Amino acid sequence: MVSFVALIVHNVGVKKVRLVLTTLAVAIGVLAVVALGVVTHSLENSALAVLQTGKADFTVAQRGVSDIINSSIEASQLPRVAQAPGVRQAVGVLIGTTKLDANNPQFIEIGIDPANLKQFGVTVVQGQAFAADASNELMLGWRAAENLGAHVGDGVKLDSTTYRVVGIFSTGQAFGDAGAMLPLRAFQTYQRQPNQYTLLFVQLAPGADLARVRAAIERDNPQLVTIRAVSDFGRADRSFSLIQAADRGSTILAIVIGAIVVMSAMSMSFVERLREFGVLSAIGWPRSRVLLMIFGEALAVGLLGAALGSLLSYLAVLVIQNLPSLTGILEPEYTSAVFGRGLYTAAAMTILGALYPALRAAAIAPLEALRHE
Amino acid sequence: MSSDRVAAVELVNVRKFFDGGQVKALDGVDLVVQHGEYVAVTGPSGCGKSTMLHLIAALDMPTSGTLRVDGVDLGQIRSAATYRRERVGLVFQLHNLLPQLTAVQNVEIAMFGTARSRAERHREAMQLLSEVDLEGRENRPPTKLSGGERQRVAIARALANQPSLLLADEPTGNLDERSVALVTTLFDRLRAERSELTMIVVTHDNRLAGSADRLVRMRAGRVDLGADPKSSSSLERQ
Repeated sequence: MVSFVALIVHNVGVKKVRLVLTTLAVAIGVLAVVALGVVTHSLENSALAVLQTGKADFTVAQRGVSDIINSSIEASQLPRVAQAPGVRQAVGVLIGTTKLDANNPQFIEIGIDPANLKQFGVTVVQGQAFAADASNELMLGWRAAENLGAHVGDGVKLDSTTYRVVGIFSTGQAFGDAGAMLPLRAFQTYQRQPNQYTLLFVQLAPGADLARVRAAIERDNPQLVTIRAVSDFGRADRSFSLIQAADRGSTILAIVIGAIVVMSAMSMSFVERLREFGVLSAIGWPRSRVLLMIFGEALAVGLLGAALGSLLSYLAVLVIQNLPSLTGILEPEYTSAVFGRGLYTAAAMTILGALYPALRAAAIAPLEALRHE
Repeated sequence: MSSDRVAAVELVNVRKFFDGGQVKALDGVDLVVQHGEYVAVTGPSGCGKSTMLHLIAALDMPTSGTLRVDGVDLGQIRSAATYRRERVGLVFQLHNLLPQLTAVQNVEIAMFGTARSRAERHREAMQLLSEVDLEGRENRPPTKLSGGERQRVAIARALANQPSLLLADEPTGNLDERSVALVTTLFDRLRAERSELTMIVVTHDNRLAGSADRLVRMRAGRVDLGADPKSSSSLERQ
């Protein structure tokens, strides 16, 4: 018993080597799209985590830096932002990263004045906060303390300096809780960035209009940019914009390359099956059914490619995630949206690839097709 | 056959030219075939037999002239594919079965687009294969069937949608003696069991032509004469 769908599935399996190669081509396209999508999404989440570390309505960074961690804001700009109409308070922090060990290649360090801890959303859960003028004290986030097996009173070596752990803190954000906080002044000195902040975390006064406050700050401080959501992130971080562009570009490229491969395979198949199309027309198949059959076969290959590509992308992200330079930085998140994009990429490349052969097959005169050897 | 009914097939001064008129495949053919009639068309190679069959099947369009099937002008039909599916069964010299499908599946796909369910299509395909003596071979692909068996599958496929018109183009042209006899017997049986089925068979084979009601001989794109197929002189291979 054969149904139309069964016929499509049956036809797809006839040329096995071609099926494998075409599916592989689609899968590689899907792999690129899904893997890059997962990485981009994870980076977005990391970016969001940086923004959400401070309990702020929005964050202020230097405009157009290559990486938001490289943002540099003069200390003199903090009061200008803090005094802007509608701003309740602004907290400046200096953020840096250091390689702690092989498992923590990008350990996050946040320099902050202990007086601002509460406004910044930091809760000291063990021990106490460091002194403002201390030079060898720090607090560890509870995740970092767990990872390092460190306790209050222990010594922790960051670069060449040993700090005493005076407290354990929680911010409620995984990114912040996996790092350390140090006295702002000592950290600025250590980083050779006196009177510099990386980010300013701004809280609004009750009833203040968010959009107006942001616009006013950007107008009065053209070198600064305000960030509210991940979508704003690219305004400050050029690398992130590039990653997003690469992500979009890879999708387009995958569709184009995949479509060409599918078109090539299906054109070959079209020539081989010319007589078959003639027979189908001769026994009364309308053109629409021939079209539907070819698109159905293309879609079936697309589905196979999407499934294989998704599996390959999972493995690829697993490899990327465990690269020594990225350990602990990339926390991949496999969302349905990312896999959905893989699916529509596969569908797009196969439908586009099948378009020309399908139209030719549907348009060919049955007698001409029947004469084909 | 009642005389007041329209003809099953009627060709009026049908011409079919190729290469801008340099090749005159059909040059003014007039032919009437009545309902239920079994007509064998013979003639030398290139005389236009197959071209005429293709026009009746709406696989091609005439250059000029009128071609009616059951009174319907084929120049006026909206869909040639629908016409073929609903009215015509086609058998080719080469069986033209799809190699990737089994015998029964080859018959079933001809019924796609009809109101029958999948189970009905399967049941009817099995029944048709049984009628052409292929019981037990339904699930074999064409490559596992003999030439005669393949041609019988093709005949079963042609009958799948209960056509009123069966058109066969050299159905025994590629078969051995035994298979020719089997296919000839099958056409005889169809003639006997399906009185409403009009059959037009293009053939060079004397036995097959001999079983027809009427013999139409063609020469140089025209109908030469209608003869009694039982007369041996009219059955000479040309």
